Amino acid sequence: MSGGVPVLEARGVTKVYETRGVETRALNGVDLAIAEGEFTALSGPSGSGKTTLLNLFGALDAPTSGTVLLDGEALAALSPAALAQRRLHKLGFVFQAYNLIPVLTARENVEFVMELQGVSAGERRGRAEELLRAVELEGLGDKRPFEMSGGQQQRVAVARAIASHPRIVLADEPTANLDSGTAGRLLALMERLNAERAVTFLFSTHDPLVMDRARRNVHLHDGRIAADETKSAA
Amino acid sequence: MLVIRMAWRNAWRHKRRTSIVAIAVAVGITGTLLSIALNYGMINQMIDTAIATDLGHVQVHARGYESDPELHVQIEDGARAPLAALASLPEVRGFARRVRAEGLISSPRASAGVRVVGIEPEAEARVSLIADSVLRGAYLDERGARVLLGEALARRLEVDLGDKVVLSVQDLAGDLTGDALRVEGIFRTPSSALDRGNVFVRLDRAQALFGLGDAITEVVVRADSRAAAARVRDALAARLPDLEVRSWDQREPALLYLVDLSDQSALIVYAAIFTAMAFGIANVLLMTVFERRQEIGVLTAIGFGRARLVATIAAEALVVTGLGLLAGFGGAAGVVWALRDGIDLSAFAEGLTAYGIGTRVIPLLRGQDFVAPLVVALVTAALASAWPAWRAVRLRPAEAVRQP
Repeated sequence: MSGGVPVLEARGVTKVYETRGVETRALNGVDLAIAEGEFTALSGPSGSGKTTLLNLFGALDAPTSGTVLLDGEALAALSPAALAQRRLHKLGFVFQAYNLIPVLTARENVEFVMELQGVSAGERRGRAEELLRAVELEGLGDKRPFEMSGGQQQRVAVARAIASHPRIVLADEPTANLDSGTAGRLLALMERLNAERAVTFLFSTHDPLVMDRARRNVHLHDGRIAADETKSAA
Repeated sequence: MLVIRMAWRNAWRHKRRTSIVAIAVAVGITGTLLSIALNYGMINQMIDTAIATDLGHVQVHARGYESDPELHVQIEDGARAPLAALASLPEVRGFARRVRAEGLISSPRASAGVRVVGIEPEAEARVSLIADSVLRGAYLDERGARVLLGEALARRLEVDLGDKVVLSVQDLAGDLTGDALRVEGIFRTPSSALDRGNVFVRLDRAQALFGLGDAITEVVVRADSRAAAARVRDALAARLPDLEVRSWDQREPALLYLVDLSDQSALIVYAAIFTAMAFGIANVLLMTVFERRQEIGVLTAIGFGRARLVATIAAEALVVTGLGLLAGFGGAAGVVWALRDGIDLSAFAEGLTAYGIGTRVIPLLRGQDFVAPLVVALVTAALASAWPAWRAVRLRPAEAVRQP
């Protein structure tokens, strides 16, 4: 585990799903802390609990037992409305299938979260343009998602994720639907955002490329942390 | 603003689906509004006919006439006081004195009970349409021994222009008396009841026949408009405290009840139409929620709260319904405008004139006719969105974001 102030922390987290009376233990007593500024990959085979852990960190689901803390605050104690506020102000999401809002343009997708935060129209517009430049999509702000390639959509998704100045971006298999060249460029972009803007990233991934570029690799197996390695600075 | 923008764009993601629902709403609204417009046009014509043939906008009687409309309840002295008061009132287009009493009219071949109305021909022409309704012959003039008959009555009595008829009445003293008159004119008004049951003679002839001297039974007043009737009534009542001054709607409140009845019937029709519509809207929204589970999951994940989610789905229902409403309003207004010269209903003339409705009915829409469907439709849309919204809120974002 790396040092620094934990943005997200799982303490003894267990998650059990029950389907038709059959219990499935997706996470089993996981302890993990993600510090500010990290660029961490959460890897493991299918069913190892990566997505479940990401959902718990994203306040999209609640653990069966144990505690998840966001900036030291236990998420279990919060109401649905308060959780929505935490997601809006402290968390950014990048999904495997991009999941942009199809009726909004690229710029509007980036502005969307800021609009929810109550940022003024002028400021939203300026920040959205600046973020689209940062993800190398200048001039494509008026395109709708269906008019863009997968890589372009995922870059819009990254811009949307960081538009709200979140404490951490949770990226669920962000390169899974991209070819290796596009995936490499996307990772480079996220590395740059991590380095230049101190954006904290936590990925769930199968992709060796992501694991290779991540500075910390947490490997899950059967709902437990099997390995947690931090690369030394080059 | 964000919610409305998203609802608007979402509504157009499935143009055909949205259009079908909007068209269904529009057709329902247009049909109902046209039915209301036609209904109100007929009622309006009934009121106009009643005002133009009999009631006027305001009537003045001796006190007690309302409960006992007999000859002895009369306005003395040639109604000098009401005439003087009316001469100085604004918003008065005309006024005329009348004598009105029951009698029996006979021809050599038949007889009929009638209402004898004594009128001042010139003054009456300014307050009623009798002068303009003369179909054959002439309107009353200086010659006294003349009578105007309705077409239906003339047919029943089997008399024609120039024929002689006898009016038999009971005079003020209670004695039976009569007068022989020649048929001067035959009239037809939009009211078959009036045509069958009223005969018009000169006022002085009627006064003499009924032994009234210079007394009359009523003064009828035509105001500049229906809206001015109440003001004229109140002003006149203030100046004539010893007389009964009543406006047309007080004399015939049933006419207003018809308007209320029509409005209430429309509400029932709207409730039926929109109840059916609610299922259609709810069905479309449920499909929408089902299709957009992933998107709803993403929205929830990035902090789009439940209240906004519910508002977006409700707004989408309102957009679809609102489009239908606007199209329906536009359609109804357009059709009513196109029919501004009236619809020829002469095929139903007999039935219509029985209610004082002419054969050409002009459909009319009032501003308030748009309010009821607007409110009912918007409430329906909001209610119809409740179930889909509940389904959307119940989606678990962690699962929804992964569902294609």
